[in-house]
Amino acid sequence: MSEKTLLKGNIAIAQAALKCGCSCYFGYPITPQTEIGEYLSLKMQESGLGYVCAESEIGAINMALGASSTGAKVMASSSSCAVSLMQEALSYACSDELPIVLVNVMRAGPGQGYIYPSQGDYNQSVTGGGNGDYRIIVLSPSNVQECIDLTYRAFYLARKYRNPVIILLDGLLGQMSEAVEFDDNKYDEINCSNWTLEGAKNRPSRKIHSLEPSSNKLNNHIKKMFEKYSIIKEKEADWEEYLTDDANIIVTAFSTMSRQAKALCNYYRRKGLKMGLFRPKTLWPFPQKRLAELSKKADLIIDIEMNMGQMLKDVELSVLGNSKIEFIGKPVGDFMKIDELVSRTDEILRRTDVSLSHS
Amino acid sequence: MLVYRTPKTIKENSTFTFCPGCDHGIAVKLVANVLDELNLRDETIAVASSGCSVFLYNFLDVDCIEAPHGRACAVATGIKRAMRAQKKENFVFTYQGDGDFASIGLGESLHSALRGENITAICINNTNYGMTGGQLGPTTVLGQVTTTSPLGRNKEYHGFPIKTAEHIALSDGTSFSARVALYDIKNIMNAKKIIKKAFEYQKKGLGFAFVEILSSCPTNWKLTPVESHNKIKNELTKIYPLGIFKDVLNE
Repeated sequence: MSEKTLLKGNIAIAQAALKCGCSCYFGYPITPQTEIGEYLSLKMQESGLGYVCAESEIGAINMALGASSTGAKVMASSSSCAVSLMQEALSYACSDELPIVLVNVMRAGPGQGYIYPSQGDYNQSVTGGGNGDYRIIVLSPSNVQECIDLTYRAFYLARKYRNPVIILLDGLLGQMSEAVEFDDNKYDEINCSNWTLEGAKNRPSRKIHSLEPSSNKLNNHIKKMFEKYSIIKEKEADWEEYLTDDANIIVTAFSTMSRQAKALCNYYRRKGLKMGLFRPKTLWPFPQKRLAELSKKADLIIDIEMNMGQMLKDVELSVLGNSKIEFIGKPVGDFMKIDELVSRTDEILRRTDVSLSHS
Repeated sequence: MLVYRTPKTIKENSTFTFCPGCDHGIAVKLVANVLDELNLRDETIAVASSGCSVFLYNFLDVDCIEAPHGRACAVATGIKRAMRAQKKENFVFTYQGDGDFASIGLGESLHSALRGENITAICINNTNYGMTGGQLGPTTVLGQVTTTSPLGRNKEYHGFPIKTAEHIALSDGTSFSARVALYDIKNIMNAKKIIKKAFEYQKKGLGFAFVEILSSCPTNWKLTPVESHNKIKNELTKIYPLGIFKDVLNE
């Protein structure tokens, strides 16, 4: 355990990346994630590591694609409308099975939107904004300490499964300062030497490509990718529960919204309602099985997001009619204050009668 | 007497799948010859691109990655920077068409040159999008008929073609920029010399080295291979002059 230091989410991610051996970073400025690139620019240049102020996000993510093919630990970061520019290369990276860590510190959309925090890129990250059948592992921290822990985990999972990993947080967390400590990176080093490109010395040459003119081979390749995705779904789903043991009202939320949701649970517990929180830490794979179990004991699920209801679809697919689902959302934060959440929750409770039957 | 030997860096038993009379085959073989002569096979990472040039990795016996369309120089940048960070010997080159390098990828290409990225880029200029059946591209010359300029390229309607090697030569980060052709033995031998120079400049750490190769596309030009070479010799070299436009060691 090291000493506690006060750090912004963005800087915590940058420091954690260096701690676990990230040797290349490529980026282009966009608020609210610019501090990641600013911080790494000096540190990486001083240490002789790979850093490029890219000409665009398209350039940046393709540099990451190339760098990761050599087995280097590679990170890129951006925000929302600019992550849209990276979707092409992410689709390639999935087919090429290249381990890129991409940080998306979300701002409001659609289009340029504004620099307010938002959670509008859940769909883009989880269901993929690029072409073809692929999956990206999506980790979502809710506080600055988790920004560190999940950055360690992102590098590990990317290399373990040879797949891109997105760290998805809202701008609020990127800009928020909290006391954190840097534990040692507890994850094993993954040996990548059986697939990396570094010159074909004393071995047959290798090629990394997504183009495949044989439909048979392409089908088999995609099938193999999806076998890998089933293993990830089975093994890597991760979540947090808060006061769910006896809960008949489950609130679902991710990233910083989950902290407001916790406050909401505390508020209604004081009023005698059995409310608990279910927070996915992996948005893909979504912890479907556990939410399904919880929903069997619940009368009501309230999904709260800083968008118009994107994780909501995964919540619905997990709950599958076991209980009622209601949604509270606001696409542009202005973070929803507890008063606003309470009044919208009260309205739901009145309308659904859940409070009457169980309080 | 030894009449012919396939370059060592060409994969055993590989057969080029380019159209009959296409100059891609000659270009790939020259690249392989130069890799042999400079003994670079073991440290090379080649970056293939989209279009006819993507098949490079089926023929060359070196580590190779395919870049998304236009992004080869960005991918090569990433590889180069990562290899440097890991302190590993390396040689990185891209093999692209003119549409890839100078249209969809112009941003990535030009900025790699401006950064003086220590890579080599080979660009096959056949004045059209070959793989998709011969459409108007960035290098299609004025008057040229393609499937998307059926009345011929018109400067008022379609705008002008790009002289890629001259543009790249303007970048301060460029160490070497040249245009060559492959329409006869003399030019083929010269092209090999120029490619070798562009590879050596990277090994000397001089910055971005670029070779544009005027190449035939008989299928889409709807000409015989011989007519295609005559067209390059008599028409295209007047618009795209052959020569060296930048050479930092000879200024």
